[in-house]
Amino acid sequence: MPAPLRAMLFLYWHAFRNRLRAQAARARNPRYLVAVALGAFYLWWALFRNTRGADAPFSTLLQSPTTLLIASALLLITSARWWLFGSDRSALAFTPAEVQFLFPAPISRRGLIHAKLLRMQLAILLNTFVFTIIFRGDATSLVSWQRATGWWLLFSTLAMHRLGASMVRSAAIEHGRAGWRRVLVSGVVFGGMFAGVAFGLLAALPELRAASDEGLRAFLRAMSTALEAPVPHAALWPVRVLIAPVLHTGTAAWLREALLAVGVLLLHYAWLVRLDTAFEEAALDHTRYRAEVMQRFRSSQMGEARSKKGKLVKVPRLALTGRPEMAIAWKNVVAALRGGSWKTQLVSFVVGLSLLATLARSTSRNAADMFVGVSIGWGAMLLFIGPLWMRFDLRLDLPRLAMLKTMPLAGWRIVTAQIAAVTLLHSITVWSLMVVPLVLLVQDPSLFEATGATIPILAAIAVGVPAFNALMFTIHNGVALLFPAWVRLGTEARGFETMGQNLLTTGATAFVAAVALVFPVGAALLVLWLTNDWGGWSLLLATALASLVIAIELWPVLRWLGTVFENTDVNDVAASL
Amino acid sequence: MIEVSGYSKQYGDTLAVKSLSFTVAPGDVLGLVGPNGAGKTTTLRALAGILQPTSGSIRIAGVDMQQDPVAAKSKLAFIPDEPALFDYLTVEEHLRFVARLYGVADAESRIPGLLEELELTAKRDALPTELSRGMKQKLAIACGLLHQPRVLLLDEPLTGLDPVGIRRMKETIQARAREGTAVVLSSHLLHLVEELCTRLLVIRRGEAVAFGTIDDVVSARPELEGQTLEEMFIALTG
Repeated sequence: MPAPLRAMLFLYWHAFRNRLRAQAARARNPRYLVAVALGAFYLWWALFRNTRGADAPFSTLLQSPTTLLIASALLLITSARWWLFGSDRSALAFTPAEVQFLFPAPISRRGLIHAKLLRMQLAILLNTFVFTIIFRGDATSLVSWQRATGWWLLFSTLAMHRLGASMVRSAAIEHGRAGWRRVLVSGVVFGGMFAGVAFGLLAALPELRAASDEGLRAFLRAMSTALEAPVPHAALWPVRVLIAPVLHTGTAAWLREALLAVGVLLLHYAWLVRLDTAFEEAALDHTRYRAEVMQRFRSSQMGEARSKKGKLVKVPRLALTGRPEMAIAWKNVVAALRGGSWKTQLVSFVVGLSLLATLARSTSRNAADMFVGVSIGWGAMLLFIGPLWMRFDLRLDLPRLAMLKTMPLAGWRIVTAQIAAVTLLHSITVWSLMVVPLVLLVQDPSLFEATGATIPILAAIAVGVPAFNALMFTIHNGVALLFPAWVRLGTEARGFETMGQNLLTTGATAFVAAVALVFPVGAALLVLWLTNDWGGWSLLLATALASLVIAIELWPVLRWLGTVFENTDVNDVAASL
Repeated sequence: MIEVSGYSKQYGDTLAVKSLSFTVAPGDVLGLVGPNGAGKTTTLRALAGILQPTSGSIRIAGVDMQQDPVAAKSKLAFIPDEPALFDYLTVEEHLRFVARLYGVADAESRIPGLLEELELTAKRDALPTELSRGMKQKLAIACGLLHQPRVLLLDEPLTGLDPVGIRRMKETIQARAREGTAVVLSSHLLHLVEELCTRLLVIRRGEAVAFGTIDDVVSARPELEGQTLEEMFIALTG
């Protein structure tokens, strides 16, 4: 084994081991000990008790050819995002310590790519474990090991694909025409795959349109038929090969499929290595530059605040007088606008949704109906997983805890201001989804009514969303404050490698939220039962009451978190960074 | 202005600071010196209300830090050795943020003067990531001075500053002291301490080993007579 690789293995293994030791040492603290016990119970329940058996309908669903086709198309679309918009910064960047030690060291660029791949494996292996357990049949049978292998092959290949896409984009952006020439082959291959699938779907558009009138099942069937046409079928072959070992465990074909997936993995590896040799020193400098950007922004994990032309995103001006906590809320809004490009994303989101809502109407009545359903589903998902992405709150500022603690404000005011800003921003994001039924209403009120949406329902959603968001952000911030060592501080976006951990975090916070919602939902149901008006304006009254109960519940929690904030030792937080 | 009585700080089994007592009067500049790990930053952080004392009391401008931390904090400014700035606020926005936080009513008229004093006028629209280490330090100091604190706590304030910046910073500190601000300055630069400070607090392993003017220190330890401050420091802490 080459010496640099041995050194990296040493680095990652020891860093991992020491991190585990530090986490174990924290369990001596009673707060962490209780959390470890609760966390262990939750993991046992989520991973080992609350899963489906091998014979459940879920297994049948996983093994269906339609699932394989649709999943492969979705995966291809997901990876298209990395090509079109670039992957998150972590795909290429190294940590500050890695930059300091690895870049000046006598390690080739290929060695650095290997280091990156090696580091990704830590998260991939953990993700593989979580997904294998969640999708397991019988944990002791060979099937689980086959599935684990399948997940590992899938995640590892995706990690390489994401890294490759980042490198290709970097080369193209940095070197202009010369860069494009160098990455032509990969561009043609992956562009061809996307084009093949798009061609198949466009060719089958009339059938898809007709099927959308007959409901979701018919639509998925039509989609599956469209993807089985020779061109998209061929384009999706490498993606299908990757997914098949995950879905087809326990079948005779598994070994052959796994070997094919290994082939795709090796092709990706060869692609990366080839990309490396095509890279000039400038490409490496770019990687280093990105790493330095990461280092600069590590405390906040922000994006570039200035545009390429050097313009700074305009933000509302802060009045010099008034409640001091507004300054903290304002600062977080500025962070979202400048670092998180929140406004740009929101505007694109609203414009895109409006266009889709208009198109949905022209497609078919059912398509509009389905689109509203998808928007509701997406909105519900945003409520739960949005707080994982939207981190312009205490999670952004805890690395600067010492500075926060010098502020002449009571702890609960600081905590409340931190949560209030992000609650407002995320509520606006969720509210923006209502543009779909509203566009339908403006176009044709009958179309709006056909979707089942009513003005009282929209008004109730508008009222309920901020209260629910406040609850969710309070839970996330509370966890960060109580267990800074276990929470990712800053706003760094992470790749799919942490999907498993995110899934578990979302499950745990949803559970806490469910407990907190018992009284608010109970109060709302009582109103609806008393008025016996389940779809009218009583819904708004019920939601307003539920929101009030949430606010009453949050008040003592925020006061308590304020005390926790005041008593948190800066050294504890610093040690966890 | 600053009254510290029996302040101790314990981490687990380690006693970082042992029963420290001292006062700093308005206009005084106290030099807090000691070897690495002596407890200087821990002491400064306790004065700033960042760390809770394990025992003892700290009063800032007559306000007990434990009883009323918000009122005490509103009267002080703490400038750490490593400036912690918000990456997405410009220089001027940092000052507006601080003005709102501390309720500085006349900030609009004070900000230009402060930017000028700290040579930041040309950088008023720059983000911290676009500033040099020294400029960041100046911005942190400007933020600290905006609300005209009655107590100024400085941890290695000259780190990263160029010679002109160092001179300006010394003038700034002296000017604030002349206006009646009580200053505590922690530094390893003994010539700076000698030049600026009216009194010294030397700590070693969390304990005060000398406190007072240089003359006070010498009269308590006559063997230090005629020695430079560096020699005195080594003798006291070695």
